[in-house]
Amino acid sequence: MVRSARQRDVRRHLLIYAGLTPYLVIAIFPIFWMLITALKQEPDLYRMDVVPFWFHLPPTLKNFALLFQSTFYMDWIINTLSISFWVSVITLLTAVPAGYALARLKLPGSENLGIGIFMTYLVPSIILFIPLARVVSVLGLQDKWWSLVVVYPTFTIPFCTWLLMGFFKTVPFEIEEAARVDGCGQFAALLRVVLPVSWPSVITAMIFSFTLSMQDFLYSLAFISVSDNKPVPLGVATELIRGDVYFWGSLMAGALLVGVPVAIVYNLFLDKFISGITGAAIK
Amino acid sequence: MAQLSARGERDRSAALAIEVAGHVAAPRWWRRVAVRRYVFGYSLLAPAVLFVLLLVGLPFLFSLYLAMSDASVGDPVARFVGLENFRAALESSAFWSSLRNTLVFTVGAAICKALLGTTLAFLLMQPFRGKKVIRALIVMPFTIPIAVSALGWKWMFDSQFSVINWALSRLHLIGDFGTAGWPVWLGEPGLALGSVMFVNVWRSFPFSAIVLMAGLTSVPPEVIDAAKVDGANFLQRFRKVIVPMIAPILFVGGLFDTVFTLSDLSIVYLLTNGGPDGATEILPTLAYQVGIKAGALGRGAAISLFLFPLLLPAMILLLRNLRRREW
Repeated sequence: MVRSARQRDVRRHLLIYAGLTPYLVIAIFPIFWMLITALKQEPDLYRMDVVPFWFHLPPTLKNFALLFQSTFYMDWIINTLSISFWVSVITLLTAVPAGYALARLKLPGSENLGIGIFMTYLVPSIILFIPLARVVSVLGLQDKWWSLVVVYPTFTIPFCTWLLMGFFKTVPFEIEEAARVDGCGQFAALLRVVLPVSWPSVITAMIFSFTLSMQDFLYSLAFISVSDNKPVPLGVATELIRGDVYFWGSLMAGALLVGVPVAIVYNLFLDKFISGITGAAIK
Repeated sequence: MAQLSARGERDRSAALAIEVAGHVAAPRWWRRVAVRRYVFGYSLLAPAVLFVLLLVGLPFLFSLYLAMSDASVGDPVARFVGLENFRAALESSAFWSSLRNTLVFTVGAAICKALLGTTLAFLLMQPFRGKKVIRALIVMPFTIPIAVSALGWKWMFDSQFSVINWALSRLHLIGDFGTAGWPVWLGEPGLALGSVMFVNVWRSFPFSAIVLMAGLTSVPPEVIDAAKVDGANFLQRFRKVIVPMIAPILFVGGLFDTVFTLSDLSIVYLLTNGGPDGATEILPTLAYQVGIKAGALGRGAAISLFLFPLLLPAMILLLRNLRRREW
C-alpha cells in the first residue's frame, strides 16, 4: 500500500518532468549556447562535422580578454553602473515620497493621480524617443550617457511609484500614529518610522530601477553613437561587428558577462514585478 | 458629523454654517490639519508628477507637433506642414507593409504565447520537487536583457554555422549546406518574419505563464471545491469559474505584453534590421530608420504615432479595469 503510493508519486513526477522538458530546453538552450560559444576557440566555432554542443579544442578565456584589451568594454560597464546609480537615485527621491503620499495621505484626487502616473508607464518608448531626442539635444546631452540618466526615469518613476504605493498601504497606520502622538512631525514620521520598516520595498524599487534600465535598447541606440559613452547592451551589439565580420566569441562573452547577473537579480525579484503590474487586478 | 465635516472641507460657506450652528471646534481643527496634510502631500507628489509631465507628457505633445512639421536633425527651424507627414506615410508602400508586419507579428506572437504560457502554467502549478529551480531556469528568457539574448539568437540563426540547422540536418529534416533544403532563417522573407516572431515568443512565454499562475493562485480552493461538489467537470470549472475569476489579471498581463511587443524594436533591429527587403520591417524599426537614421524627425514622429491608435484601446480598457476595482 505504502509502496504503491510511492510509485504513483514517482510516476506523477516523471510525467511532470517529461512535460516540462521541452519548455526547459527551449528556454535554456540559447543561453547555454551563448555560454559555450563565449568559451570556445575561434576555429572550434566553425566546425560542422562534429557535435557542436561541446568543446573540441580546450576552452579559452581569450574572448573575454579581448573585450577588455581591444574594446571599450570596461567603459561600457562603468557607464552602465553610473547610469543605473543615478537613475536609482532620481527614482527613489521622487517615487518614495510620491508613493507614500498616494498611499497614506488620503489626498483628494489621489486615486486618479496614481492611475495617471501608472498609465505613463504604458506610454511606450517608441512614441517618445523622437521628441526626447530633441529634448536630449537641447540639453546638450547628445552622445553622452547622461542623456539616459534623464530619460530612464520616464519609465522607472511610474513603475516604482506604483510599486511603493502598494507597499506603503500595507504598513500599519498605528505605528505612524504612535510616532505622531510622541510629537513627530509628518515628515519626521515618514523618515524615522515608515521608511525604516519599509526598507525592503525601497531596495526592491532600487533593483527595478536597475533591471528596467538594463532592458532598454531603443533609447541608447537613438541617443548615443560615441563608442566610449555606450552602455553595455548597446556597446556589445554595435561595436563587436565590423561590417560583415562578427566576433561571435567576444559578442557572446560581452553579452553574458552583464546579461546573466542582471537576469539572476531580476529573477529573484520577479514575483514582486508581476504583483506590481497585476497588483491592481488581484486586489 | 463626519458627513458635515467632509462637506465643510469642500465648501467654505457650509463650514461657516456649521460654525454658526455651534459645531465650531471639530470642523475647524479638522480643516487646519487637512490643509497642512494637503500641502505636505502634494509637495511630496510634486517631483514625481513634474518629472512625468515634463518628460512624458510634454514630449508626447511635442511629438504631435513634430509630426506636423518638417523638422529634421540637421535643421532646427521647423515649418508647419499640417498632415503632410501622415499623408506621405499612408502613400508609401513601406509603411503599409510595416503595418501589416506589425499586426501579424503582434497577433501571431500573442497566440503562441497564450498557448505556451497556459500549458506551462498548469504544469508549474502541480506540486513537485525542484520546482523553484526549474521555474527560475524557465523564466531566464524573460529576465535576461532582450538586446543580449537577441545577439545569441542571431548567432543561432547564422546562415552557415547555425546550430539549429546542424541539429535539423543531423536528424535529416533538412538538406545539407549549400543545397535548396538548407534554410537561411534570417535571409528568406517568410522564415525571417517567423524567426523574429519566434524570438519574441521565446522571450515572453515565461511572462505569460507567471502572470497566469499569479491569477490561478488567487482563486480560493474553496470556490473550486464548491464547484466540484455542484458537479462541474474540469472544463466547466475552468470556463465558468476559473476564467472569469482570473480574467482581470490575464487582461492586465496581456495588455502589458502587447504594449511591450508593439513597441519593441531590438529583436528586429538586431536580427534582421527590417530585411530581407522589408520583410520584417515593423513600425518601430521604420520610425527609427526614418526619424533618427535618416534624420527626418517629423516623418519619424508621424510613423511612430500610428502606433498610438493601436495602443489606445488597450490603454482605455486598462484604465477602466483599474478604475472599476475598489482600492
